Amino acid sequence: MQAQVFVKMENICKTFGNVKANDRINFDVHQGEIHALLGENGAGKSTLMNMLSGIYKPDSGSIQIHGKEVVFNTPKDSIEMGIGMIHQHYRLVEVQTAKENILLGRKGPFFMKGAHVSKDIREIGEKFGLPVDPEKKVYDMSIGEKQAVEILKVLYQGADILIMDEPTAVLTPQETRKLFAILRNMAAQGCAVIIITHKLHEVMEISDRVTVLRKGTTVGTLATKDTNPKALTDLMVGKTVDLAISRPPVERGRVLLEVKDLCAYDMDKVEVLRDISFKLHAGEVLGVAGVAGSGQKELCESIAGLYPVASGQILYEGESLVGNSPRDIIKKGISMSFIPEDRLGMGLVASMDMVDNFLLKEHHNQKGLWLKRKPIAEKCAEIIRRLEIKTPGVHHPVKQLSGGNIQKVLIGREIETNPHVLITAYAVRGLDIGASHTIYDLINEQKEKGVAILFIGEDLDVLLELCDRIMVLSEGAVTGIVRGDKATKEELGLLMAGEDLGMEVAQ
Amino acid sequence: MIRMAKQGNMTGRKAAAIRVTAILLAFLASSLFIRILGHNPLAVYGSMLVGAFGSPMRIRDTLTVAIPLTLTSIGILVAFKMKFWNIGAEGQILMGAFAASMVAYNLGNLSRWVVLPLMFLAGFVGGGLWALLPAWLKMKWNTNETIITLMLNYIAIKWITFLQYGPWRDPASMGFPKMPNFASGAIVPKLFGIQAGFLVAILFVVLAHYFMHHSKGGYEVAVVGESVDTARYAGMNVKKIVLTALVISGGISGIVGMLEASGVNHTLNASISAGYGFTAIITTWLSGLKPLVVLPVSILFAAMTKGGGYIQTVYQIPQAAAQVLQSMILFFVIGSEFFVQYKLVFQRKKSPNPQEGGQ
Amino acid sequence: MKRLSALFLALLVASATLFAGCAPKVTSDTEPQQQPEGQQEGQQGEAGTISKEDMVVGFIYVGPIGDGGYTWAHDQGRLFLEEQLGVKTIYKESVPENQEVEQVLRSMVDQGAKAIFATSFGYMDYVEKVSNEFPDVKFFHCSGYKTTANMANYFGRIYESRYLSGIVAGMKTESDIIGYVGAFPIPEVVRGINAFTLGAQSVNPDVKVKVVFTSTWYDPAKEKDAAISLLDQGADVIAQHQDTAGPQQAAQERGAFAIGYNSDMSEAAPAANMTSSVWNWGPYYVEQTQAVMDGTFASHSYWEGFSEGIVDLAPLTANAPEGAAAKVEEAKAKILDGSLFVFEGPLKDQTGAERVAAGVQMTDQEMLSFDWFVEGVEGKIE
Repeated sequence: MQAQVFVKMENICKTFGNVKANDRINFDVHQGEIHALLGENGAGKSTLMNMLSGIYKPDSGSIQIHGKEVVFNTPKDSIEMGIGMIHQHYRLVEVQTAKENILLGRKGPFFMKGAHVSKDIREIGEKFGLPVDPEKKVYDMSIGEKQAVEILKVLYQGADILIMDEPTAVLTPQETRKLFAILRNMAAQGCAVIIITHKLHEVMEISDRVTVLRKGTTVGTLATKDTNPKALTDLMVGKTVDLAISRPPVERGRVLLEVKDLCAYDMDKVEVLRDISFKLHAGEVLGVAGVAGSGQKELCESIAGLYPVASGQILYEGESLVGNSPRDIIKKGISMSFIPEDRLGMGLVASMDMVDNFLLKEHHNQKGLWLKRKPIAEKCAEIIRRLEIKTPGVHHPVKQLSGGNIQKVLIGREIETNPHVLITAYAVRGLDIGASHTIYDLINEQKEKGVAILFIGEDLDVLLELCDRIMVLSEGAVTGIVRGDKATKEELGLLMAGEDLGMEVAQ
Repeated sequence: MIRMAKQGNMTGRKAAAIRVTAILLAFLASSLFIRILGHNPLAVYGSMLVGAFGSPMRIRDTLTVAIPLTLTSIGILVAFKMKFWNIGAEGQILMGAFAASMVAYNLGNLSRWVVLPLMFLAGFVGGGLWALLPAWLKMKWNTNETIITLMLNYIAIKWITFLQYGPWRDPASMGFPKMPNFASGAIVPKLFGIQAGFLVAILFVVLAHYFMHHSKGGYEVAVVGESVDTARYAGMNVKKIVLTALVISGGISGIVGMLEASGVNHTLNASISAGYGFTAIITTWLSGLKPLVVLPVSILFAAMTKGGGYIQTVYQIPQAAAQVLQSMILFFVIGSEFFVQYKLVFQRKKSPNPQEGGQ
Repeated sequence: MKRLSALFLALLVASATLFAGCAPKVTSDTEPQQQPEGQQEGQQGEAGTISKEDMVVGFIYVGPIGDGGYTWAHDQGRLFLEEQLGVKTIYKESVPENQEVEQVLRSMVDQGAKAIFATSFGYMDYVEKVSNEFPDVKFFHCSGYKTTANMANYFGRIYESRYLSGIVAGMKTESDIIGYVGAFPIPEVVRGINAFTLGAQSVNPDVKVKVVFTSTWYDPAKEKDAAISLLDQGADVIAQHQDTAGPQQAAQERGAFAIGYNSDMSEAAPAANMTSSVWNWGPYYVEQTQAVMDGTFASHSYWEGFSEGIVDLAPLTANAPEGAAAKVEEAKAKILDGSLFVFEGPLKDQTGAERVAAGVQMTDQEMLSFDWFVEGVEGKIE
């Protein structure tokens, strides 16, 4: 009747400081199944999986692998029990070949028989449908190939329980599909696959069963075929939520920001932006799609004066911004706001309170040597009310707030300056569904006020629903600009992969 | 199995309890040590207090040490707040003293009202430039400021020694390597029997407090210290802020040099810095980078040094043993900060029963 | 929190027992600080004399008393003083040559010191300053040149002893190269090097004395390294003007020979040490302390040698060359009877130029500000 139980975690508890990351969690995975672990950020998914892979030790509870009670003191113990974890950020040595990476950290004779290993790798690759050339250097590989190497690495170590942490975050839809085929193949070969995700459609597409976590507790384990995205969301959030994102129709205004043939290089002289050109109008949301690292960050920072531009033009109402520092831009009286991807490392000062964080922008406007905090504190209090920020007070360090509230503080500060152009980079990354929707609403509110918004996003569904137009970047170049209400995910995926679809550029 | 874990809910009361425990432990451990040396711990502690505060003269001596400690700590604090690890205060003190002495030796015969302000300024400039160098190098080539400031200390010491044996040797000293004493106009007068530099120290503590917490400049320094990216993002001129802050940091240490040379030693030599540049790193750190806390911490530290010196003569405890005592006290106090931030978790080998986790 | 309180309690109990265990000693240990100042001054005023019971003598040392050298020699003097007069002494070791000196001096006065011996050159200005603050206390500064009404300076003509040790070294050397580790290029050291060289030349005209300065009085490792560098340059005898036996040990390790300084260093390097120029401070300390107690102190500059017994040469060891003892005795006798004066012309400097004409004796003033090496010394005064 039931397949063999590979993983059984019972009553797992784990506390960090006074935060209960995991509270009596029960979780089991069977042979041959793909099991999705679903939950919002901070629900305890990663903590649970880190305990399974030996990185953390549970405060209490038991773990059984292949029916045997185990205690993992190090990740090595876990690997020896056949558990392989593939992290979101690949841990490969770029200058080495696939084979060398796979052998890295393995016990055995110092000089391995190269040919013999290559053969083994090829065999495993064929068995699971992982096309990896053992002799290829990692830096020559695409993201998908690198992922395949990671998977092969754990399989080569003899893993039959595979944990994948958000594996699709850096993949195009097409690459995602390939990955899913591989995962299904592995399940068919008798492995157990655990996939950590917060994307509902992926859960529906790939998993056999799904365990939903909320605030460190198990909400339930369901067979995927018996449920639907709406029901899963409600479980995840704990209440009924409206998943729709609105796109209010706004009369588009004049061009506020124009980028022409923008090029930039990184420290290693690699071209990171290639001839980027687009126009951003008042009262529109221009989305930017692309796999991670396609030049999004550099584009935003170039416009904000934080990244050196090699050539090309950035025009704000006809005035060139190239070569200006953020300070110059402020001095020119240009009201442009940038909400960076790294909120606590760039947009805010993590250890300071809300007032001091508002001073980041405000202190330029204050006259004299001394800071005036009182008026700012009043403003902060008002923003806390308006944006419903949950904080003990205006003098509470922002880093102690939740991700959503941190983002609200940041956005609140920026829209407080009444910008004409608003650039947001991954504005909802790490936020739960409710907080994300608040941010979307804020963006729409700005759009309705006539602000020109550049919205860097990662969830294609969101981009398609929220944005008026979507610009797709691939390896630093624009591969297309499409209309949000006309384009399909499929098209975006192909553009992200760098294919020229010969599509007309949406104006 | 024992492992470290970040403290989650550290309340003020709990932190205070840990610190008090640390101090108690420090006294306990050093009591044992004193017992081994063959003395009565309580009597020795009592003597330490007497040695530091027992008479007006002793209070004056303690304050004489506390003044340079306080000022140097303030200087270091400005750099540390920016996470610029300036451990070159010792050299900055000496270069400040050098610049001030240049004024003293050349213009010492003018009125005190002219000479002292000039020396004060020269001290600030000397120390400030000596700190500007590593800051500029860091901005230009991203050099490691810890190494550079440390090495600059030795250059400063050797420079003063060179002057002492060479160009600045007192011609009246019959070949003995010492520099001339300052003329009376170049000597900081005494107030209540203490060099008037204490006024400067108090002034700078207050100034630093307002600067760090209420001025734009101090705010910018704090932001740069937290994150250079944020500072750039907010449109701050990071380079200018770092350079300015380091001139201030080194300049304050330079003033210490001026005060020590002029107010205490009445001459220049390579040992007038007396290790304040290094000791002040500890006091700055103990003060939690809060200017107003620097003052009491420095006074306590000076008291510990004075008290430690006193018990040497009273009980004829070897100097090394007195230093062991001081170090033990420091070890526990600094060590307690670890427990304020972390806790040790003792884990049983077997996985515990699941009931325990549920509360 | 519970565990913390338990720890607290345990601590309290532990400290209580620790302190309770030694309660009876309290009185005797705290005695020194309970000496009321005013009372003493009153007694002193009555007769102008100070009784043995009230007399406290302070000593300030630049190094630790266990240095086996300079500070140790002074401390031997202090112990001799205690033994001879039965007065109470207090001391502080490793006092740096900065304003801390003042504080230590004042602290000692506060502890009842009526006479204080400050035993390093760098203390001079601070002693001078404090002597003006406390006219009733007598200060003695070693190796400097300043005096005030209640501050004397004292030193010994150690160069006389250096001359004798130079004889031993000059007879011993086979390479005719003698290494000399000096602390600082200051008159005191230069004088010693010159006297030593003249002594060596008196028995061995070909001898060369190579000098290295370490820029420190007290640093065993650095002193040793300096000696090794001299040995590497062909020296087979090492002499020193340093406070530790580091150079002696370097010589012993290389199978070479050595002349010690400050104290008899024969035990530190039994296979190398031939003799040492030593200080004998005790008699001066006794004499001056007695003068202070009797109220007969007068400010002075004291600079004596063999005649007063303040300097001496340690007994020659078996490592010393044959016949050396006789030569040394002969020279010493001549110094004592005045027929030999170490710095008597003709004296030439390193360039060969005559600095002191034949038959002329250098004055104390000239010797105190010695800033040139005699011919035969290889080294530079910078």
